[in-house]
Amino acid sequence: MHTQLRRRSAAVVTAVALLAGCSGTAPGSSPAKSTATGTVRYAAPGSPSNAVTDPHGLLPGESDVVRMALTYDVLTVPGADGSTKPRLATAWRPDATLTRWRVTIRGDATFSDGRPVRAADALFSLRRMGRKAAENFGRMAMFDLDASTTIDDTTFELVTRKPYAEVGKALEGATFVVPEGSDDFGKPVPGSGPFRPTDKGGAQAVVYERNDDWWGPKPPASTIEVRAVPDPQARAQALLSGQVDLAGGVPATLARQQEGNSAVRLLRRPGATLYPLVMRLDTKPFDDLRVRQAVRLALDRQQLLDTVFLGYGEIGNDLITPKDPTSPATLRQRTRDLAQARKLMSEAGLADGVDLTLHTTTAYPGMDSAATLIAQQLAEIGMRVKVAVEPADTYFSAVYARKPFYLSYLGGIPFLDVVRVALTPGSPTNETAWQDRTWSAKLGKALAEPDDTERRALLGDLQAELRDQGGYAIWALSDRLDLARAGLSGVPEGIGFASAFIDQVSLDG
Amino acid sequence: MPWPARVPARAVLLMAAASVVIFLCTAALPGDAADVLGGGRAGPGELARLRAEQGLDRPLHVRYLDWLAGVLTGDPGVSLITGRPIGELVAQRAGVTLTLAVLALAVGVPLTAALAWAAVRGPGWLRHPANAVIVAGAALPQAVVAAALVAWLSAGWGLFPPVSMLPAGEPAWSRPDLLALPVLTLALPIAAYGAALLRGAIGDVVTRPYVRDAELRGLPPATIVLRYVLPMIAAPATRLLAVTLGGLVAGTAVAETLFGLAGLGELLVTAISTRDVPVVQSVALLAAAVVVAGLTAADAAAPGRRRETARP
Repeated sequence: MHTQLRRRSAAVVTAVALLAGCSGTAPGSSPAKSTATGTVRYAAPGSPSNAVTDPHGLLPGESDVVRMALTYDVLTVPGADGSTKPRLATAWRPDATLTRWRVTIRGDATFSDGRPVRAADALFSLRRMGRKAAENFGRMAMFDLDASTTIDDTTFELVTRKPYAEVGKALEGATFVVPEGSDDFGKPVPGSGPFRPTDKGGAQAVVYERNDDWWGPKPPASTIEVRAVPDPQARAQALLSGQVDLAGGVPATLARQQEGNSAVRLLRRPGATLYPLVMRLDTKPFDDLRVRQAVRLALDRQQLLDTVFLGYGEIGNDLITPKDPTSPATLRQRTRDLAQARKLMSEAGLADGVDLTLHTTTAYPGMDSAATLIAQQLAEIGMRVKVAVEPADTYFSAVYARKPFYLSYLGGIPFLDVVRVALTPGSPTNETAWQDRTWSAKLGKALAEPDDTERRALLGDLQAELRDQGGYAIWALSDRLDLARAGLSGVPEGIGFASAFIDQVSLDG
Repeated sequence: MPWPARVPARAVLLMAAASVVIFLCTAALPGDAADVLGGGRAGPGELARLRAEQGLDRPLHVRYLDWLAGVLTGDPGVSLITGRPIGELVAQRAGVTLTLAVLALAVGVPLTAALAWAAVRGPGWLRHPANAVIVAGAALPQAVVAAALVAWLSAGWGLFPPVSMLPAGEPAWSRPDLLALPVLTLALPIAAYGAALLRGAIGDVVTRPYVRDAELRGLPPATIVLRYVLPMIAAPATRLLAVTLGGLVAGTAVAETLFGLAGLGELLVTAISTRDVPVVQSVALLAAAVVVAGLTAADAAAPGRRRETARP
C-alpha cells in the first residue's frame, strides 16, 4: 500500500508538471504517451551474483551481454537475418590481400564523461579483448592486434593473420568500446551506448537511464531496468504477475500454457539453441565414418524435437549453424533410416552392437531428457548406450572437448565462431577431433575469397561436407522463447548477440 | 579457565576451525575459477596463465593464510569471476537476506513453540497430527514447500505474487506482499525442525518432579511455564535459534532463487558453482560467525544449563 500511495503521488506530480509544461508548448501533445514509455523492466537469464562489469572477458550470463550492450557501443551488430550491420563502425574495407582492413568509426559518438570516441579507443578495446582471449574464447584470434594501428581519430587499420574476408562478422556483437587506458572495471567506466547505468538498483536490478547524447535512434524508453534472474520459471512468473515487462528465455511448457492469453505476447526466435551430439573422430567406434553415419540415420529427429523442446523449434539436418547466412539451404533433409543404419553398423564390424557412454548434464533445459531419448533410439541399431548425467557446474571443463560422446551446447553462434573454437586442428577445444587438412585448406581459400557470393558458396560447401563427414549430429534446433506484455515492441529479432540489443524496446506497442 | 575468558576463547577457536573447514571444502571442489572463466574453451597454456593471474597456482596454505589475513584486516578480496570487491557484493545482498531471516524467525519461533507444545502437552487429539506435521515439515525440501505455497496462496487464492521482484533500489521491507511467500517457505521448515528438536527437551522438563510438584500444588499453567519450563529449555532453544539464524544467512538460496531475489544465499550457491572461492569463503564464514555468536550468547545466557551442570 505504501508504494502504491507513493506511486500515486508521483503520478500526480508528473501530471501537474506535464500540464504546466503543456500550457506553454504545442497544444494536444499527449501526456499519457510520455508516461507510458517510462520504464521497461526486463528479466534476463543470468545470475545477479556473477554479474560482471568487465565487458571484455567472460560474460557468464545473457543479462551481462544485455547490460554491456546498453552501456557501450559495439563496432558491428548481427542483423535479424544474420548479416552484419554497422553500429559504431560505419565502414570496413580491405586492401587487395584481405589482410589489412581500414575500419572507420562514426565521429559523433561520445563517452558519458564527454570525451569523443576515437579510433584509438576502439583499437584499445580490441587489444584488451585479445589479451583476455582465455576468457572470451579467443574472439580476436584472427587479428594481429600488435601490428594493427590507429590512422586518425576515426580510422584504424586492423591486420589479420591470414587473408580474412569476414572482418565485419568478426567485429560483431561483443566488441564493446571503452575509453583507452581503462583497465579497472571494479567501478563502471564511461560508455558511449544508448543508456547509462545508474546506481539506483542495488543488488536486485541495474537501472539504466537513456543517454540523450547517443548518436543513434532515440530509444523510446527513458529507463530500462535489467534484472538477472537465474530460474526460467521465475522469469516467466514475474512477467505473468506484472512485475516485469519482458521475460527472456522462458520454459516451453509455460509458453504453451500462455498461447491464447491476450495479455502477453510469446516471442519466438527460431534456431536459437541446439544441443549437438558430439562423436570424437579419434575414438573408437566413432573413428569409423560408417558408425557416425549410422548414428545420424538412427535418430528420430521429430520425436526428439517434440519431446525435448515440446515442438518449439525445427528438426535438424546435421548442419552445425543452420541459421548462419552461409549455411546451405537446399540440402535434402536427413530422416530416420534404421535399415541403412544397421547395414552401416554391420559393415563397420559392429553387427553385435557396441557399448557406449553418453554424457549429458542439466545445465540447459531438456539436455538430460534428450540424452535418454537418444540412448533409446540408438538401441534400435544395437548401440547399448549408458547415459551419464554430469554435474552442471563442471560439465564444460570436465566433459566438453574431453569425452568421446556427449551432448554439447550452441546458442546462436555464427559458423566462423564455431570453426575458431571447435573445428580448428590442434585446438584444445576441437571437440570432435576434426582435422581434415583439405577441409582446412578450403576454409583458408574461402576466407581469402573477396567476392561475397562466391565466398558464401564456398563456406556453404564446407558446412555440407562437415555435415556428412564430421562428428556432429544436429537433431533439432529449439526456438528461443520470450514472454512480453501485450503492448511491448521493439524487441530485436535474430539470435545470439542480436538478441542483446534491447535499446529500442517500447511499451507503446 | 574462568567463565568470562572461556566463552570468547571458545568462540575464537570455533571460528578458526570453521575457517579451516570452509577453506578445505572449497579446495576440495573439482575444478577452479580458471576452468569456469575459460568456459571449457581455453587451452592449457591459457588456463595456466589465468591461474597465475588469479593466484590459484600458489600452495594451499599460502592461499589460506593470505585469505585469513585479508578477512582479519577487513579486506576479503575480490571475486575471481566478476572482479568486484567481495565486501560490496555481500553488503548489497545482506539487507535482503537479513530481512528474510529475521521475518522467518519472527514467524518461525512462535510456530515452533506452538507446534512443540501441541505435540507434547496439547490435547490428546492434537498430539498425533502435530507430530505428523513436525516430521513431515522437517523432512520436506524447501523447494517443495515453496511450490505448495505458490500453488495454494498464489495460484489458488491469489493472495501473493508467485515471484518477488523487489523494486530496484528500495529496501526489501518496503514490499511485505513480495516477502510473504519466501518468508513462509523459510519459516515453515525451520518451525517443524525446531519443534522436532525441542519437543524432546520439553517432554523431559515437564516430567521433572518439580514441575509435577508445581502442578499438584495447583500453580497456574502460565506460571509453571514461565518459572519452571522456560528456564530449563532456554539454553537449547537459544542454541537452536543461533544455528537456525546462521543457517538462514546462507541457507536462503533455494527460496531466493525460486522467488527471484538477489541475496546472500543466491550469492553463495552461484559462487560455489563458479568456483569463486573467496566469495564462497566469505559468505560461509559470515554464516559461521552468526552461528558462533549465537552459541556464545546461548552459553552466556543459559542459567538452566549452568544449574544443571552444577547439579551432581
